Amino acid sequence: MEVNELIKNSPIRVFEKSINGGLGKGNIGVLASRHGIGKTACLVHIATDKLFKGEHVVHVSFSGNVEHVLNWYKEVFREISEYKSLDDAFSVYETMRENRVVMNFSQKNISVDKIISSLTTLIQQGSFQADTVLFDGYQLTKATPEDVKKIKAFAQAMNIEVWFSVSPALTDVAFDEYGVPETMKPYLDLIDVLLGLKYNEEKSKVIMTVVQDHHKSPSHFTGVTLDPRTMLITE
Amino acid sequence: MTKELKLMRNIGISAHIDSGKTTLSERILFYCNRIHSIHEVHGKDGVGATMDSMELERERGITIESAATSVEWKNYEINVIDTPGHVDFTIEVERSLRVLDGAILVLCSVGGVQSQSITVDRQMNRYKVPRIAFINKCDRVGANPYRVVNQLREKLFLNPVMMEIPIGLEDKLEGVVDLMKMKAIYFDGDSGEILREEEIPASLVAEAQAKREELLDKASAFDDDLMEMLLEGEEVSNEILEKAIRKGTLSLQLCPVFMGSAHKNKGIQPLLDGVLKYLPDPTEVTNRALDLDNNEKEVILPSDPEAPTVALAFKLEDGQYGQLTYIRVYQGHLRKGDELVNTRTKRKFKIGRLVKMHASTMEDISEAGCGDIAALFGIDCASGDTFCANGLNYTMSSMFVPTPVISLAIIPKDKKSADNMAKALNRFTKEDPTFQTYVDPESNQTIIKGMGELHLDVYVQRMIREYKADVEVGRPEVAYREAITKRADFNYTHKKQTGGSGQFARVAGYIEPFVPTDDDMDKEYQFVNEVKGGAIPSEYIPSCDKGFRAAMKKGPQLNFPIVGVRCVVNDGGWHPVDSSDMAFQTAALAAFREAFLQAAPLILEPIMKVEVEGPSEFQGAIFGSINQRRGIIVSSTEDHNTSTIDAEVPLAEMFGYSTVLRSLSQGQAEFTMELDHYAKTPVSVSDELRKAYNEKKKGK
Repeated sequence: MEVNELIKNSPIRVFEKSINGGLGKGNIGVLASRHGIGKTACLVHIATDKLFKGEHVVHVSFSGNVEHVLNWYKEVFREISEYKSLDDAFSVYETMRENRVVMNFSQKNISVDKIISSLTTLIQQGSFQADTVLFDGYQLTKATPEDVKKIKAFAQAMNIEVWFSVSPALTDVAFDEYGVPETMKPYLDLIDVLLGLKYNEEKSKVIMTVVQDHHKSPSHFTGVTLDPRTMLITE
Repeated sequence: MTKELKLMRNIGISAHIDSGKTTLSERILFYCNRIHSIHEVHGKDGVGATMDSMELERERGITIESAATSVEWKNYEINVIDTPGHVDFTIEVERSLRVLDGAILVLCSVGGVQSQSITVDRQMNRYKVPRIAFINKCDRVGANPYRVVNQLREKLFLNPVMMEIPIGLEDKLEGVVDLMKMKAIYFDGDSGEILREEEIPASLVAEAQAKREELLDKASAFDDDLMEMLLEGEEVSNEILEKAIRKGTLSLQLCPVFMGSAHKNKGIQPLLDGVLKYLPDPTEVTNRALDLDNNEKEVILPSDPEAPTVALAFKLEDGQYGQLTYIRVYQGHLRKGDELVNTRTKRKFKIGRLVKMHASTMEDISEAGCGDIAALFGIDCASGDTFCANGLNYTMSSMFVPTPVISLAIIPKDKKSADNMAKALNRFTKEDPTFQTYVDPESNQTIIKGMGELHLDVYVQRMIREYKADVEVGRPEVAYREAITKRADFNYTHKKQTGGSGQFARVAGYIEPFVPTDDDMDKEYQFVNEVKGGAIPSEYIPSCDKGFRAAMKKGPQLNFPIVGVRCVVNDGGWHPVDSSDMAFQTAALAAFREAFLQAAPLILEPIMKVEVEGPSEFQGAIFGSINQRRGIIVSSTEDHNTSTIDAEVPLAEMFGYSTVLRSLSQGQAEFTMELDHYAKTPVSVSDELRKAYNEKKKGK
């Protein structure tokens, strides 16, 4: 299969349709769930789809282990390229590597200002034309509305799509019916697209729900679930 | 006489440039009474430190070669292997790590854990070397051993435990508090040789107690008895405590930290005691060899003096009496007159003179025991060779040798220089497997190949100084490769039948790109014989293989070696009289060249994995510098005020990077690089290369 065809047939298209054609630049999207549901895999799948399209992606991680993040990408790529028998997989992967930077912050409680400044440095001085920035494991639930506003301003100024994966830091947090933690509520008006991931016992699958969509349509099922084995998005 | 193994230590001193490693080695030699006065590395007396035996090292203030030196401390024999600190010489570091049982990691109390310390530490982990740390230069302005201890934890992921705390810092450094004895130790006399024990100064009592608690707490994880005693509030004897710390250190789970100032003669003797107490003796380390008679099966070498001898030549040096070979004995023993086999060359030799090295002097010995480090005279071998007793065919597992990535033409100015240069090259290539040399048959120039600019530069300088070879140096060149991207058929007839014995051979088939699997990464070429019905007689099939191999050595585009080609022969023709081995070789070579140009050839260049580390404020400038060099930023990691940037950059763009990096970061950023992989060059670059190559060819 050729790359173009692969992009066209990707389950990501189904999911984008359910949020009015995608998140869009200058906007903030959030994937929320409990721990261990598969947010990182989802995020990397979204990033990989962008990379297939030749877009530039910055993956911001806070784990201190860059190798771990790179392996996620390798695995997700392998999974997709083998399943769809992608043509010329090697050179596609090479291009993807060139268009991806992992930015890792090992220090605990790093400020939003510092992260934005490092990202700006990379984009401007490193001439890296980022289209999408993914925050994997940022504790958005602890951030102040001010912090979120700064990120929103950054996304708009740089014309970048920003995705977050969010799990609450505390364990005794209540989750709503879609898998979104209560602690998210104070920032809901700053978020353009909010997706909830929740395990559905009837279907024995993780279901992705659109909880909020550009402040328009009400909550509805995206039409995608997560593959129980790979945690990748499937129709 | 064979020393009792328990009383022997083989240690290395490993560190970042300028953290005072050489000064420390010097002090160790002094306190062990081997030399009578102390010379400074950057000394005023012009003598220089004793361990840096080469003139060049003296001038640069760095240590290039690892000289092994034996000293005696409190009835123990310590073999000290001085390891180089610069990244371009990592093969030297790695080879010496192989023969060490333990190491002292020297850190500067001001600079702390720097990028080179991280590289060296990573290598020590690879060879599982237990280590203790010494925080040097506590007398310097800005000294902060506590910060360095934190860095050991955070950057090197060690589990550091302070064995001492400093009494005063910077110019007020007086001595250390020993947390085992709970005493203050001062270093009196002209050179700190007299130890004076006193009560802990009142101002430090609380801190000393707190740190001792920490020490007890960390040590208790390694000894159940100790844990129990602590829980029941019993008094802990230092003997039990020492045992626990030793256990933790040997299992690489604990790193005892000592401190002081080698320059001011403070803290060295307790460090030496620490070497005896916490670093392993040869029997406590598991050494492995590969049995060549048994499909390279791994065998464990028991440190048994009675077992058949196995020894490793880890370093060669050119002395005034010929080649000096440093060896480490892993099992058995070496005696004068013994006969051993070099398992690489299968050649037998007799041990003539056996010596022990003491920095610049040597002592003749009649026997070197198991675990010992000694030197042999007049043995013809290369670094890394294994010597075995008759009947054994072991090799110490092959050490990882990276491929050279950069080459340089050297031209001697006169006949005498040419002779000296040849001598020097012969020596260097034996000492250092990453340094290679050959004569380019076209230009007739001698080419040297190595791991980086500085690596080659140091050898060129040594050639000039030590061997008095006056040489001119060409521009450094990148080792490119040539490859194909699609299949191309060939059908070539080699024919020369004009009277006399003729030549005739026809080969037909195709070449195609070949990606070696992980198992046979070394094999960049595959030959497949699909000839049916004797179109080529079977005796000439190997000739075709040979012809293709010859063609692979030099690509038709730039004369660089070709990689990743599968050659398939499926048809051919022969002549009962005129066909010969030569005829088929020639035909295969010509067929390959013809097909190669039809197979969409391209040029591959070495891509280096570059790691730059520096203060975060220079992050932007570093990003920019990588971007300008066709580099890809793989990741960037920020921790407090330090940024580490991992990138992949073509080697061709890395010339002079150290200067650029230094100036853009005010000397505060550093980088290391190693070969990562080969990748195709962008069209603009390969066109440029082809153009330059053709012009050079025309010019001749």
